[in-house]
Amino acid sequence: MPHTSELADSHLLKKDHLKGFLRKLAKEYRLVAPVRNRHSDVLFTVIDDLDAAEIELNEPPQNSLKQFFLPQQERLYTYTTSPEGYDFQPIPTSIPPTVYFGVHPCDLSAVLYMDVVFSRRQRDPFYLRRRQGSVLIGINCNSPAPKCFCNATGSGPFIEMGSDLQLTDLGDRFLVEAGRTSGHGLIERWQGFFAAATDKDRAARYQAFLEARGRFSRQVHVEQAIRRLEADAVPDEVFAELSLRCQDCGGCAYLCPTCTCFTISDQPLDAISGQRLRSWDACTFAGFTAMAGGHNPVQAKTEAIRQRFTHKLRDDVRLTGRPSCVGCGRCVGICFGGTDIVRFVERACQGSL
Amino acid sequence: MPQPITDIYLPRQAKVEQIIVENSQISTFVLAFSDHTYNNAFRHQPGQFMMVSMPHCGEAPISISSTPTRPGAIHLSVRRAGKLTAAMHGLRTGDTIGLRGPYGRPFPMEQLQKKDLLFVAGGIGLAPLRGVINGCLDQRDQFGTLTVLYGSRTPSDIAFQSDLGLWKKQGVDCRLTVDAAEPGWDGAVGLVTSLLDDLKPNVNQSTTLVCGPPLMFRAVLGRLASMGFSDHQVLTTMERHMKCGVGICRHCHMDGKMACADGPVFSLAELRQLKIMELDG
Ligand SMILES: Cc1cc2nc3c(=O)[nH]c(=O)nc-3n(C[C@H](O)[C@H](O)[C@H](O)COP(=O)(O)OP(=O)(O)OC[C@H]3O[C@@H](n4cnc5c(N)ncnc54)[C@H](O)[C@@H]3O)c2cc1C
Ligand code: SF4
Ligand code: SF4
Repeated sequence: MPHTSELADSHLLKKDHLKGFLRKLAKEYRLVAPVRNRHSDVLFTVIDDLDAAEIELNEPPQNSLKQFFLPQQERLYTYTTSPEGYDFQPIPTSIPPTVYFGVHPCDLSAVLYMDVVFSRRQRDPFYLRRRQGSVLIGINCNSPAPKCFCNATGSGPFIEMGSDLQLTDLGDRFLVEAGRTSGHGLIERWQGFFAAATDKDRAARYQAFLEARGRFSRQVHVEQAIRRLEADAVPDEVFAELSLRCQDCGGCAYLCPTCTCFTISDQPLDAISGQRLRSWDACTFAGFTAMAGGHNPVQAKTEAIRQRFTHKLRDDVRLTGRPSCVGCGRCVGICFGGTDIVRFVERACQGSL
Repeated sequence: MPQPITDIYLPRQAKVEQIIVENSQISTFVLAFSDHTYNNAFRHQPGQFMMVSMPHCGEAPISISSTPTRPGAIHLSVRRAGKLTAAMHGLRTGDTIGLRGPYGRPFPMEQLQKKDLLFVAGGIGLAPLRGVINGCLDQRDQFGTLTVLYGSRTPSDIAFQSDLGLWKKQGVDCRLTVDAAEPGWDGAVGLVTSLLDDLKPNVNQSTTLVCGPPLMFRAVLGRLASMGFSDHQVLTTMERHMKCGVGICRHCHMDGKMACADGPVFSLAELRQLKIMELDG
């Protein structure tokens, strides 16, 4: 129920006080926030100089938080091979505790989803060591961007759970809701920045939510596509047609905040040593499932994109009760083959159930 | 508070203690972890696999072909298929490789107790079944009759000859066939399905464990169905590209299931719920 706030504890932060609060946080944490750079691109960026950074809280950032928890490429181990043996050495790293500030509900939902991926069956040490000691400060979206459809995936434009602190823009001030013990801790620690919120402020938040909900420029029938996939009612031709148009670039998977498939490979450094790498991969790549001798259980031409959409809109719904597309719209902008998830949902719903 | 997290991707050193050349393409590597304590404590269940590392070759999933009833050594029977497996064929006794595991859902051994077991394999497909068969022989009174049907391309391709010899001696009904005979071969010629024609199993009492290339698999399934085997009585292990081995990287996806973690052992009844190449043709 996204209309009533379940984040019991609410406070006010004057916009004038935001920089001061962030400055305090930056003393103890690495700070990451959406920053508009000199090319006018908005990107989640590590902020070294708070005064020089233009933090952008309205326009959704082009990248998501995925790269901070699952880097595009990371070294897992170095290895050496010699007559004495073949040995792997862990790579010493220390990941600074980090505050992720200004995270939109879609991207917050995506982090919560990644938490499931990387701890459900096995606890993934490389993901979790980045995730542990991270603080998420979210911002609800008063004005969804034209590409956004989180209302159809149940992951925005306002969110109730998942962040440590959740901000709503009320004009000259933010309503700040503390979702977790760690969030309460932050407010207690720096209580000088905060004032008590009144019922009027909470009513203003609700009003903002209602208005935001009415501002989506597209209707994407995700629920219907989910039903049709579950009923096996999406014709093979839909998958074939979109697969044929997919140009195998992987852009959708790289940009997507919930695409977490990876590959592991060795990179020799010299004859007797090398490093083992983990890198982003994409289920749409023709070689993703290829086995020795060229044998492939997935028909690359006509089935390449089936896994992408059935995983997000059917398998993950079975697993977690909700799709793992969070409606951020990033893949829609990047796909030049016209095989993005919105196109799929439209095609899947034709001849509806 | 952050808890220490086990480094699940870290391979451990294992030493090649012995190499059994099974045929020109397949060898069985007898391995022991260099860390003796770890080696002595290591346990697996039949049907599970290891992720094998070879220098500069990354990793590959390989079934454990030894039985848990004989702990202390891990057997991997490997067919030369590409880069990593070819590198393994260059190994000599005393060399070290990297291993992590065991992974995957094993054969449901408790459900197989008291059953007549029919093993049907082609080529390297006998590798994952070898551990089951030897396990049954080590606990002979817990299982019914044991029958092994094994298909190879030619008589000189027949792998696991010493195992087959020992099994016969211990009363296992082993029947071999080849796709193409060679001079001196007086055994059966033809698909492994033709061996099924001569069998009169007590179907209600039996479970079949099938492992081999997709074409063989489909042919065998058809034959088993006409003999009266239900989909619940047929077990197999699935082969897919794998990177993590623990259900995260998703390379082994099978219509919503992960071959590495939901399998690799599946009953045919479970596979029928999925859209997969092995059953679709
Ligand atoms: C659960 C399981 C158990 C297996 N058990 C055995 C066994 O006991 N004996 C045996 O000889 N073979 C077994 N295989 C197949 C074996 O994993 C492949 O032959 C091997 O990965 C080929 O790697 P390569 O580097 O030699 O070939 P290449 O073609 O050079 O491999 C290229 C890449 O593709 C991947 N890959 C290629 N083929 C496969 C494949 N079939 N399965 C998974 N990944 C693949 C490899 O990880 C590698 O990164 C098993 C496969 C699975 C999934
Ligand atoms: S998809 Fe929703 S949560 Fe994400 S930026 Fe757009 S409106 Fe905000
Ligand atoms: S599939 Fe597209 S819209 Fe959905 S979460 Fe991924 S990038 Fe965003």
